Amino acid sequence: MFKKLKKWFAPKPPIPEAWLTMPLADIPFLCIDLELTSLDLNDTKILSIGWVEGQGKQISLQSCYYQVISTTASLNQSPVIHGLTADHIAQGQPLRIALEALRQFASSHVWVFHCTNLDMTVLNGVFKKLNIPLPTVVTLDTLRFGLYQLTKNLRPPPPNAVVLPVCRARYNLPAVPAHNALDDAMATLELLFAQIQKFAPKNTDTLKALVVTDALQVFPASTD
Amino acid sequence: MNHIPQHILEFLRDSAPFEVLDEHEMNRLAQSITVAYFSQEDAPNILKQQQGGLFLIYSGQYSVKDSAESERHLSDGDYFGCDNLWQKQSNKIAVTVDSPGLVYCIPKKSFAQCVSTHPSIGVFFRNYTSEQIYSDQVDDSKSMWLYKPISEVISDGIVSEDINSSILQGVQVMSKSGVSSLVITDNQLLVGILTDRDIRNRVVAQQTDVNLAVSEIMTRDPVKISDQRTLFDALCVMTEHNVHHLPVVDKSSGVPLGMLTASDMIRHQRGNVLFVINELTKAPSLYELTRLSWQLPHYFSKHAKRLGDFDIAGKVLSQATDIMTRKLIGFYQQQHGEAPMEFCWLVYGSQAREDQTMGSDQDNGLLFATEPNPEQSAYFADMAEYVCRGLDKCGIKLCTGNIMASNPALRMSIKQAVQQAQSWVREPSPEAILNCNIFLDVRAVAGNRFLLSQLHVERKELLKQSRFIAALTRHASDGHVPLSMFQKFVYKKGLPKKDCIDMKNSGVAIINNLVRIYSLANGLTMPSIPHRLEGLLSHAGLSSKDVKNLRDIWLFLNRLRWRHQIQNKVTDNYVSISDLSSIEKYQLKEAMRVIRRTQQAAVFKFAGGLG
Repeated sequence: MFKKLKKWFAPKPPIPEAWLTMPLADIPFLCIDLELTSLDLNDTKILSIGWVEGQGKQISLQSCYYQVISTTASLNQSPVIHGLTADHIAQGQPLRIALEALRQFASSHVWVFHCTNLDMTVLNGVFKKLNIPLPTVVTLDTLRFGLYQLTKNLRPPPPNAVVLPVCRARYNLPAVPAHNALDDAMATLELLFAQIQKFAPKNTDTLKALVVTDALQVFPASTD
Repeated sequence: MNHIPQHILEFLRDSAPFEVLDEHEMNRLAQSITVAYFSQEDAPNILKQQQGGLFLIYSGQYSVKDSAESERHLSDGDYFGCDNLWQKQSNKIAVTVDSPGLVYCIPKKSFAQCVSTHPSIGVFFRNYTSEQIYSDQVDDSKSMWLYKPISEVISDGIVSEDINSSILQGVQVMSKSGVSSLVITDNQLLVGILTDRDIRNRVVAQQTDVNLAVSEIMTRDPVKISDQRTLFDALCVMTEHNVHHLPVVDKSSGVPLGMLTASDMIRHQRGNVLFVINELTKAPSLYELTRLSWQLPHYFSKHAKRLGDFDIAGKVLSQATDIMTRKLIGFYQQQHGEAPMEFCWLVYGSQAREDQTMGSDQDNGLLFATEPNPEQSAYFADMAEYVCRGLDKCGIKLCTGNIMASNPALRMSIKQAVQQAQSWVREPSPEAILNCNIFLDVRAVAGNRFLLSQLHVERKELLKQSRFIAALTRHASDGHVPLSMFQKFVYKKGLPKKDCIDMKNSGVAIINNLVRIYSLANGLTMPSIPHRLEGLLSHAGLSSKDVKNLRDIWLFLNRLRWRHQIQNKVTDNYVSISDLSSIEKYQLKEAMRVIRRTQQAAVFKFAGGLG
């Protein structure tokens, strides 16, 4: 109990100053999405991972990465959702290769997720399990960012208001077929740019300005 | 292989002209693309970084000036920066962001790579801002030859012989020139023709003296055609009169200019397009006529494979309706005797313009030199009733607006018709204008056609009055093309499908109205749109580019609605946008823009700028 309380009251790890003073237009973002076998964090396995880089409201499609992960875990009902079948999975790569590639972006990019906590919990877990050291990561959550922009004038938010397609529609972005990791990562990054545009149209703001939205988080480097 | 998000590939595949790329090429193109979130603040920076490239809008709305042309309002699926693709020095692009969104930036280099393997992509963009894209497909259509005037087709130098020559002289001329028929003239004018068949049947078989005058054995007063009509008309005349040789004469002087033969036509034509018309002409009874008429839809769906094949569908159907009408009048007269006075059977609207579709109903009337007496009236009332019902049996629906010869109000003397026109001009009420739009597209189909020419002469000046033309123009500018300010299709509510465009009222009819206005102002009386446009070429008012554009667009819109009717087996004009290919969608948008501009120009010219 005391341990838990201590954790709550402990100061949040600070965001490195170098990030905070960087103008939003200059920040390299890496938008990541995972497809999982289930939403139960104790049991879930990564089926596929996709990411794409963006900077200054521009996304070079050359930076797209997508990898199906070979796993022996039961797929449960997940093929219905993301279309990955046992055949796809069998042709996948070991998770280690994807994680080694992802790790290269830890210090250079702000990582963007639609629901950071879920994906980062899973990622932290697998990095630890495979014994791959992960440096400190700064993350930005488009779900929280969207919630902040929504609840400023509307609270509580209507049900479903934070799911990705609904979020995108609020920023007049076209509907995209969801549930492929790369498609979702792309959709999330596009959403982030729309959110930044709405938040700070003048382009002179730094990352510090986003602190108020509660979308930024820091995940310290694994110490063990 | 690098992965690209599915929705991006799908969007590219839906974007003309990149649909022609194969999977590998598409992937290579996609990898080179930068997706940019375009807002007013970011636009200058992005335009600078992506200078010289091609921009494809994925979402948002923008006002763009990227060439010498005026500013364009653009939205998803539109391109800008096209002109820069061909120049070393890039034009400056000015973008006003009306609603921010995503824009795909295609680098010049990877664009060039696409063009090198698919030159058609280059052609598309060279013409992109000059609004000529829809005409590409029209020009390559294999049915276009049917719209050619005969004058363009007949070769120079006619083979003819004077009426006083001997049979031998005539036959020697034919043999020397290697032709199967000979035009016989008297004082330069056509009096007869001599064919191989005549020589076989009337000379050789009967052992006629070859020193006799050629006039003894020639076919006198042959069926002929003016050089200003089209090949299609010629084909119809030949089929209807069952002749294989058709002399062509100058429209005004009547001097023979050449000869069209059945084999000339076959050379041009693949497959026997007019088989049905031929059969209709031979129908011996109402029953047989009805049976054949119901084959028409099957005939169209069987023979029209490519979009261009529909160009003549409206004409074929109108000609078929003409023949049905003449056959029905003939059947009636066989039973009830010849007409007690001269009459002219008129057709209005789409049948007159020869752009009928499967959904068109009949619009017709009768014209007399003077008012018939009660007894004559009764004959024509009965005949009109018989013909209109007969057409209905043949599949040409009765007119819901009662614009039919069976309606006594539509059986008029020339004097009454002129009075009617006077009332339209004096008081161009909305109802009068609607009437004009129907009755001013008119064609004589049977009886004494001269009566209609007379009516045209008598009301020509009347209908040219500028106040009347202005009223028609204002009405024509009321019809809105279904495009928003940002070139998005606007869908009317209450149509059978969500993404429907009413191809008739939002497209074809607007062009029909505009062309009618220009024709009236210039005193042109022929009803068909291609003919009218051709006639307008030599008159002031529309540039030759406008004329060509309007003709191509008119053909294109008609093709789309015909294909819709045939493929979906319906008779309405509600074409679903999702049924169109990406290039057709693009062409349709461009077509609508040109129509809107022509509307504005007409308002400016005829209605003093007040729409």
